[in-house]
Amino acid sequence: MTDEQLKTEVEAWLAANWRGTATHKESFGRDPRAEWLAKVRDAGWAVPRWPSDFYGRGLADEQARIVERAFAAVGAPGAGQDRSNLWANTALAHATPAFRREIVPQLLAGEVGMCLLYSEPGAGSDLAAIRTRADKVDGGWRVSGQKVWTSGAQIADYGMLIARTDWDVPKHRGISFFFLPMKQPGVEVRPLRQITDEAHFNEVFIDNAFVPEDNLLGPLNGGWGVLQTALAYERSVMGDAARGPRSGAAGPKGDHALIGLAREAGKLDDPVIRQQLAQTIAWRVLNRLNTQRAKAELQQGTSSSIMSLGKLAMSRILHEEARVRTLLLGVESLLEGAEHPRAEDANFLTLNAYFTSIGGGTDQIQRNIIGERVLGLPKEPEVDRTIPFREVRAG
Amino acid sequence: MAGLTADERAALLDSLRRLLADRCAESDVRRIMASETGHDAALWRALADLGVVGLTVPEQHGGAGLGAIELELVMEAAGAALLPAPLLSTAIAAALLDGERLAALAGGYSIAAVAFAGRDDWTGRGDVRRDGAGLAGTARFVPDAAIADTILVTLDDAVFAVAREDAEIVPLPVFDRTRRLADVAFRGPATLIGDGTRIAAARDIALIGLAGEQAGGARRILDMTVDYARERHQFGRAIGSFQAIKHMAADLLLEAESATSAARDAARQVAEDTPARAESVALAAFACADAFVRCAKDGIQMHGGIAFTWEHPAHLYLRRARSAAQLYGDSDHWRERYVRALEVEA
Ligand SMILES: Cc1cc2nc3c(=O)[nH]c(=O)nc-3n(C[C@H](O)[C@H](O)[C@H](O)COP(=O)(O)OP(=O)(O)OC[C@H]3O[C@@H](n4cnc5c(N)ncnc54)[C@H](O)[C@@H]3O)c2cc1C
Repeated sequence: MTDEQLKTEVEAWLAANWRGTATHKESFGRDPRAEWLAKVRDAGWAVPRWPSDFYGRGLADEQARIVERAFAAVGAPGAGQDRSNLWANTALAHATPAFRREIVPQLLAGEVGMCLLYSEPGAGSDLAAIRTRADKVDGGWRVSGQKVWTSGAQIADYGMLIARTDWDVPKHRGISFFFLPMKQPGVEVRPLRQITDEAHFNEVFIDNAFVPEDNLLGPLNGGWGVLQTALAYERSVMGDAARGPRSGAAGPKGDHALIGLAREAGKLDDPVIRQQLAQTIAWRVLNRLNTQRAKAELQQGTSSSIMSLGKLAMSRILHEEARVRTLLLGVESLLEGAEHPRAEDANFLTLNAYFTSIGGGTDQIQRNIIGERVLGLPKEPEVDRTIPFREVRAG
Repeated sequence: MAGLTADERAALLDSLRRLLADRCAESDVRRIMASETGHDAALWRALADLGVVGLTVPEQHGGAGLGAIELELVMEAAGAALLPAPLLSTAIAAALLDGERLAALAGGYSIAAVAFAGRDDWTGRGDVRRDGAGLAGTARFVPDAAIADTILVTLDDAVFAVAREDAEIVPLPVFDRTRRLADVAFRGPATLIGDGTRIAAARDIALIGLAGEQAGGARRILDMTVDYARERHQFGRAIGSFQAIKHMAADLLLEAESATSAARDAARQVAEDTPARAESVALAAFACADAFVRCAKDGIQMHGGIAFTWEHPAHLYLRRARSAAQLYGDSDHWRERYVRALEVEA
């Protein structure tokens, strides 16, 4: 099919089917737009890069982008999930055929809520130190342990879980990756109050919960490899975009929102402010240019080192944009509440920037990864890398 | 303009890189730096034969007929090798000239230096003005003027050509000896060769070429630093295994990659003459300048004492980065221009 034909087809389909405006979607939990997303999925627009016998159309990246652009042009959600849907992509790559057939369509339509059961009180940056256990029983595994910082757990149907299945091998080699059903007696979710005064993340206490045989992704004890797939998607998504102002309504939007804010604040003529506006906006634009170039290079078959830079870049963008917003507001930033939406936004963005600089692996961990995997610098000495996990010192 | 296929482009860059490895190695750069003129005529001839000198000169005048995209890539390679040659001046001149003058330029037989001396220019250096039909005053810090046979001068609405005999050219003692600068005093005679219509395009070529040079230089000094961090051992470990070093390297990679993205994007916007042209050129100007200075600066720190020696090449990159960061307006200037371009949209 030519680019032109494809464009015509997708535009005609949208014209015939897309009626609404997109409702807001939190990144976790069930999607209120499920009905629409199911339609998109069934028409093959959700994951056009995937094979045509599995919800896709086997399109090359270039053509898939035509689809994404057509959706974006009318504001319709649901396209581009072959890049952005971390859950579905992880399942596609690693789930058993039966479980894949069951779960993937639901994931593409946002019919199931998802969460990430990785971090534990004793395993954050050092994820391979997890102590949650999964013990083999008839027909599946019994899981016990404690997870923490689990975003969206209270509304999730499944958690992507890493748990230890072998204690007698070094820490990276005894981990398995599961889709744990969340709505069962052995799973207790307790919300945590965040610095943003929201409660999106939770503690999850797992006590003898059951996970069926078929919900194991990848090989038994091969969970570390599956995790790398999932983390790569997560980080790439976090490098592309982040949650914006909470108020949703207040102030100018888009790349150049800061210029509008400066104008509103009467500070657009201040030469010092203008320098900071330029630098901050530049970082956001440069990150997008980097991502575009990375994708083009990947497509030409040359491996690109830039892909791994996005999340680190986004951390700086978010922290700096929030700082400049605060600078523009001055003392107004001391206020909060619905009558002061600009202050609300600046303060919320200041705090929520840590979602990107801590969540999904901290900036320091990203620098380690870039230094080691991209630049080929030697790893830090790691005293517990080769000894059986049972003997590793904790605390 | 035809443009090249990806394969042709790769082939051109490949032969350029080979030529530079062969004729513009560090030892060559140092020899040329130490010479009186800072120019290697044989190297220039080789670059002309390769088609790089006349890269942006139209084919009917003996050039390769290529544009901003190829120029930027060529300048990345030139910047990586610290090429001391009037390549950028030539590309700018090509954007200002016509006819026979172009053929001499493309062939490598004529070298033209360019002084941007309009009121709106970033430099505002010197006091060049019209004097009857000719020019008076001095243009300061003109790159490659001492080896040029022609000095091109842009005012707000006019381009003049001045033969070297008709100007007084005073070479300056420069910190970056891979890029020679001179003051050029005009004493009347000058030929009006154009109105102002081409000046903006020539300015964009100057900035894109320089951005490419900076991106290429940033990447090279970073690569050298990372190589060293893998080899050099202290406390029984490669220094690159220390996070203090590793994390600096990761941050520099972000700067260097961003510089490359910015330079290439600006070249594309100019080649396609999009509405984002002014904005992306301004962005490349400061992003690339700052990235190169930072990579060169931190590169020395990460090397330790060895890079404080004259014999080590790191300081050559820092010198080049510092001269590039001033040549066509500094980063503050371009940040201001960037906001001015964005203001219109926002
Ligand atoms: C908003 C938010 C949402 C989150 N959502 C989820 C979720 O849904 N699911 C989930 O599983 N987790 C989630 N997390 C957890 C997140 O992944 C961890 O917080 C993060 O990986 C860091 O782990 P930690 O908090 O234990 O800090 P630690 O690992 O204890 O780190 C503390 C400090 O030490 C530094 N540090 C640690 N090790 C190194 C090292 N090797 N080199 C250099 N510095 C180091 C860190 O950078 C940090 O500054 C979320 C976190 C946040 C903030």
